[in-house]
Amino acid sequence: MGKILEIKNVVVGNEEIKILRDISFEVEEREIISIVGESGCGKSITLRTIIKLLPQNLNILSGKIFFEGLEITKLKEKEMQNIRGKKIGMIFQEPSSFLNPLFTIGNQIEEGINEKVEKDKKKERVIKILEEMGLSYNVYYQYPHQLSGGMQQRAMIAMALINNPVLLLADEPTTALDVTTAFGIISLLKNLILIHNLSIIFVTHDISLAKYLSDRIFVMYAGIIVEKGPSIEVYNSPLHPYTQKLINCLPEKYNKGEKIKTIEGEVPSFKNLPLGCPFSPRCEIKNKICEKRIPPEIKIGNRIVRCFKYGNFMES
Amino acid sequence: MKRYILNRLFQFIPLLIGMTFISFLIIQLSPGDYFTQLKMNPEISPETIEKMRKVFGLDKNIVVQYFYWLKNVFTFNLGVSFSYHVPVSYLIKIRLKNTISLSIFSIFLTWIISIPLGIYGAIKNKRWEEKILSFIAYIGISIPSFFLAMLFIFFISKTAILPLGGTTSIFYKGATPFERFIDYLKHLLVPGLILTLSGIGSLYRLMKNNFLEAINSPYIFTAYAKGIPTWKIYFKHALRNAINPMITIFGYELSGILSGAGLVEIITGWPGMGRLVLEGVLSFDLYLVMASLLIGGILLILGNLFADILLALVDPRVRFK
Amino acid sequence: MNIFVRLRKRNFISYISLYIIIFLYSLAILADFISPYPYNKQFRDTPLCPPTKINFFDKNGKFHLRPFVYEYKLVNPSLNKYEIDRNKICPIYFFVKGERRKILGLFPSRRYLFGVKEGKIFLFGTDMHGRDIFSRVLYGARISLSIGIIGVLISFFLGFLIGGISGYFGGKIDNVLMRLVEIFMMFPSFYLMLALRAVFPLNLSSFQVYLLIVIILSLIGWAGLARIIRGMVLSIKEEEYVLSAKALGIPTFRIIFRHIIPNTFSYSITAITLSIPGYILGESTLSLLGLGIQEPYPSWGNMLSVCIGNLRILSNAPWMLIPGFFIFLTIICFNFLGDGLRDVCDPKNW
Ligand SMILES: Nc1ncnc2c1ncn2[C@@H]1O[C@H](COP(=O)(O)OP(=O)(O)OP(=O)(O)O)[C@@H](O)[C@H]1O
Ligand SMILES: [Mg+2]
Repeated sequence: MGKILEIKNVVVGNEEIKILRDISFEVEEREIISIVGESGCGKSITLRTIIKLLPQNLNILSGKIFFEGLEITKLKEKEMQNIRGKKIGMIFQEPSSFLNPLFTIGNQIEEGINEKVEKDKKKERVIKILEEMGLSYNVYYQYPHQLSGGMQQRAMIAMALINNPVLLLADEPTTALDVTTAFGIISLLKNLILIHNLSIIFVTHDISLAKYLSDRIFVMYAGIIVEKGPSIEVYNSPLHPYTQKLINCLPEKYNKGEKIKTIEGEVPSFKNLPLGCPFSPRCEIKNKICEKRIPPEIKIGNRIVRCFKYGNFMES
Repeated sequence: MKRYILNRLFQFIPLLIGMTFISFLIIQLSPGDYFTQLKMNPEISPETIEKMRKVFGLDKNIVVQYFYWLKNVFTFNLGVSFSYHVPVSYLIKIRLKNTISLSIFSIFLTWIISIPLGIYGAIKNKRWEEKILSFIAYIGISIPSFFLAMLFIFFISKTAILPLGGTTSIFYKGATPFERFIDYLKHLLVPGLILTLSGIGSLYRLMKNNFLEAINSPYIFTAYAKGIPTWKIYFKHALRNAINPMITIFGYELSGILSGAGLVEIITGWPGMGRLVLEGVLSFDLYLVMASLLIGGILLILGNLFADILLALVDPRVRFK
Repeated sequence: MNIFVRLRKRNFISYISLYIIIFLYSLAILADFISPYPYNKQFRDTPLCPPTKINFFDKNGKFHLRPFVYEYKLVNPSLNKYEIDRNKICPIYFFVKGERRKILGLFPSRRYLFGVKEGKIFLFGTDMHGRDIFSRVLYGARISLSIGIIGVLISFFLGFLIGGISGYFGGKIDNVLMRLVEIFMMFPSFYLMLALRAVFPLNLSSFQVYLLIVIILSLIGWAGLARIIRGMVLSIKEEEYVLSAKALGIPTFRIIFRHIIPNTFSYSITAITLSIPGYILGESTLSLLGLGIQEPYPSWGNMLSVCIGNLRILSNAPWMLIPGFFIFLTIICFNFLGDGLRDVCDPKNW
């Protein structure tokens, strides 16, 4: 399997704040990656960095991103337009507000079609993909507000996949949906990578869902990926203190009446981040060094963790 | 769609009734009633008065009178002008045409100018171009239309580049229809431009804010993520979404245009409804005033209806309700 | 108050506008003291006299520490041509003596802020009756500026009452009241204003007219405000803190006074500021059309009425338009201030 995406030491922010700090990871072909983390830790910004659609006040300050071997950090806006929607598709948390209310679903999917083909051909293709997503061809003529949340999300996926991209960025696509609808979407995504030659980066704050869906899990905290590894291993034997606490908070780990251990303290704001490890203020096993430096990536087998606990840092 | 329009029409009926009732009430409130005034006027024969008394039910109680009046209103019998001695409807007909052409002219011009400006301002938001535009818009919003009109007239009195006052020039009689039209337009230009200038500011601001809101919406992000070129995103996705709220406020804008037109007509000497009302007030010609008020209100209702229908045409969320 | 500090920091132009407004109001209050002449003093020999320039150098180029004006002489009454008599220097003095007037209507005084002992000083020129426009602008400010405030307060009271009732109780009451509001808003305000004016006799005393204008403007203005306030009450009613206060069983009036009113306060201040221009415009429109404040008493509106349909005056004596400039200045300042207040009152911007 080849790498389709490679991110190397990316820093995103501006003069005042750094939102993403030293992000590195790779995505293999036909792989599902989950990025897990609390609200505001920078998951969406990570996805937006990949397609270079950052908020106006934020920039990629350093680092490199390679997509299919091409360094896209160097590409111009015009060249990026040929990658977005064509090679990389994206879906969002709230399909209702991410679909334009004034155009039909058909119109919105069709306008993304890359090749110059006749109108009829385009329509055929759109209807085909809609059906593949489990929607009737009627949806082609319908407006977003006429669809349910689940249908909107399916239409959104159709829109993202119309050009057969190799990478799908999914930003919490199931958070706004009820459980059964969400499950439908998840199964759909799982099927899709079998049919299409597709990799998915799936953002969620539900680590159980991540375990179920993905091959690997990246755990993010305050703009840093603190842990990377195969899903089952991360879930069953988390390395980073934050991941451990995160998993310890899950209700399914408790019996009735037991008190759930929550993570004490608050997520630090990006305006005044601690100097060292961002988790150190809430960490129970922190050391002096934790407050001074950001831990480097430490490789343990096929897993990577950013914590001074591992390696030989604690003594110094 | 048909049901929606019918529905809107039905909603306007109570409004219309309320409006006529308030107009009627205002006549009733006035101390010296119209009828006694008629009697005191030696130029009006007792027969005419007797006829009026019958037609308007002036000897009956107020509610009955209201229905008499309403019936007359619906048959375009708006009473007789006290000062002109002709039916009010006749007076209004001539003037209404001028007011409507003035309003449409300036609405058209205002929109044509302020929508592109608004888009430009939104795209250049927080840069110097936008700051200058917004400052000028501020001046435009704050300058009273009558003051603008006076400045305009002062300017014209110095340069004499445009005709002022009335709708036609003296040579009108022998002219071809096309020449007449051009002549009419030339006379329309002064009040029309004044009205346009005083309307651009607020419309520019609205459009700028709408467009700004549109281009910061999630669906615009989706469009970017689809790899659609920026110009297409602006002119397909953002523009349509920014224009819709403008249509919604069209009715409100129209109220301002009609009021502004009334005043500008008076100052520039354009013979429209505004001058008619003022003459009516000054000569205590109550039926004339009330009819004008009512016509103004009906114009607004029609404008709102038009906006509603237009909105339904362009906004599926309204259409498929 | 920290609102003003924030205003200065975030929105300097609004901050300056606030001071201009305060300055204009002070001029209005101290009109009897600042204006060199009474508003009705007619100088028959100098009608439509251009503004007298203030000079420091005389015709020989000699510098005078005390500024002076020249005397203006009407040389051609039919063409309204004035000539400056450069031989006659009229120095300007502070606290000169003039006719006896009551400052603020209370303290009789013969001294005014500035003036000339011989000759005349017309900073903004004179009107057709030879009255000093500068003095009349100051006196006129009293009408034009006070009517805005009084009108907006009455409308606001009505709007709060009706909008509050409508929003708080909802249901049928809400329905009826909102229809009424819609009806009022469906009339073009200019026509409604004139129609309401038509109900009353044309010749009323100054005080009656003043009251009438306030009433008419409030009658027109309440509807829009009521609608806004209703919307505000509705949205606040749904806010979490109100819902939770309700759930906690806190009595209604406490909810209204502790939660709803403080939350509408900053908004109300903004809305009041932004509505004042409408009232100032309303007054000046009525007075301009001869339906408001009557001569000889000045308002910024009626001082402009001679300019309607009078091309000759307009082109020969453009200084007659100065009151219009003051209306414009006041309105733009209120608009700037209102927008600035909205900006700093918005919690998003803190
Ligand atoms: N334009 C911006 N300027 C400054 N900070 C920003 C900007 N956009 C986002 N942020 C900050 O970046 C952080 C990460 O935002 P992001 O949207 O990536 O969070 P998230 O992990 O996706 O959270 P959620 O689960 O709520 O979607 C947030 O704390 C946010 O405050
Ligand atoms: Mg997010």
